[in-house]
Amino acid sequence: MTVRIKIILLITLSFVLQMAFFPAHFADPFKPNLLIMFIVYMGFRESVLWGATGSFLLGLLQDSLSGMYFGLNSFSFLLIFIVLKAVSHRLYTDSRVLMVLGAFLASICNGFLNLLMLAVFSLAPGMYSTVLSVIIPQSMVNALIAYLVFSIVPLGKREEIP
Amino acid sequence: MLDFLAKHRIRILAGAALLGAIVFYSLNLKQKEEANAFERAVITITSPIVGAFALVDDFFTSTWENYIYLVNVEKENRKLRESIKILNKRVIENHEAALDNQRLKKLMDMREKLQEPCIAASVINEDSSPWFRTITIDRGSADGISEGMPVIATGGVVGRVAKVAGGSSRVLLLTDHASGIAAVIQRSRARGVVKGKGGNGCALEFSQRGEDVQTGDVVLTSGIGGVFPKGLPIGEVSMVKKGEYGIFQTVDIRPFVYIPRLEEVLVVLRKTD
Repeated sequence: MTVRIKIILLITLSFVLQMAFFPAHFADPFKPNLLIMFIVYMGFRESVLWGATGSFLLGLLQDSLSGMYFGLNSFSFLLIFIVLKAVSHRLYTDSRVLMVLGAFLASICNGFLNLLMLAVFSLAPGMYSTVLSVIIPQSMVNALIAYLVFSIVPLGKREEIP
Repeated sequence: MLDFLAKHRIRILAGAALLGAIVFYSLNLKQKEEANAFERAVITITSPIVGAFALVDDFFTSTWENYIYLVNVEKENRKLRESIKILNKRVIENHEAALDNQRLKKLMDMREKLQEPCIAASVINEDSSPWFRTITIDRGSADGISEGMPVIATGGVVGRVAKVAGGSSRVLLLTDHASGIAAVIQRSRARGVVKGKGGNGCALEFSQRGEDVQTGDVVLTSGIGGVFPKGLPIGEVSMVKKGEYGIFQTVDIRPFVYIPRLEEVLVVLRKTD
């Protein structure tokens, strides 16, 4: 099984968990965003074409089933991917610690980007209080889950991806 | 004479034997509290045999009770446990059905009060993101639901339908930041807009400082805007803060509907622009 198929299966599983399981069993500030983890992975490992398309699609998936604003997360995910891609050649991207740190920082960036977009384009003036109160717990949960996932599932080396 | 004895020999012997037995019995009645030599001899001889038999009997009885009988007991226990499980399950199901019945009855009462076409729906999911407050219900465009329709529960207003698919819809809750409902204070008829604050709270915005709003006041939908029917309960005022300056006062509202425990809702089938 190639690494890409593994990743697609993992993404599918994560998406199902995130949409169907976590909302019913996790309290609000601790609902993880598993998709962020894959944005980080793609930012560090995937090609620009695959990664950008994947990030945008994952954002659309997230927006389809959460909140009111279609395109909000797809923009944020794409921007995060681009930034990570831009710096990835300077980093040791086989490191698991980097993935975990990336997931934590990407979660925080995603929160602030969404907040900025909402502040500029929508009428949700009190949104900042909600986002700011959940951004750190959610980022920490995301980092913890990224640590577990990247510990358990070997996603392969860079050379394995054709 | 001899002929008579010979003829009735057996009867005479039987009678003599019975008479002898009665005499023996009557003679022994005097010593009935004491065992005679014969009795003592019989008891002495038979007691070890009886004792041995008793031991063997005890052994087999205890074996039967402790092992063979316990096998049945274990089976019986298993059956009883299964029965208890089944009965417990039935008790829980009955209790659940009674609670469902209670909730649905309240929902039906609400529906009758509304006097508008409604459709009942079950909540099947919550929003996966902690930033937004939406729920998914199991009714969609196939059931006649369209965007903007008001959603209510037994306590009062829940929100409005935001996105509709074939068999399910997403409802924007009144606690979401993007939600706004025209409202009125029941007691003083002061007007405002109930906006979501995230979490489980709301606020009455655009309520002027001079308006009479007090803690505990009931907030109802005003019907302005045409989205929600007039007079639906939204919540009660939990805090009022009037600053020294400014046009408006800060009014916090606690919704009557407790969203995290919401299971069934009613979608009011009224078309909105």
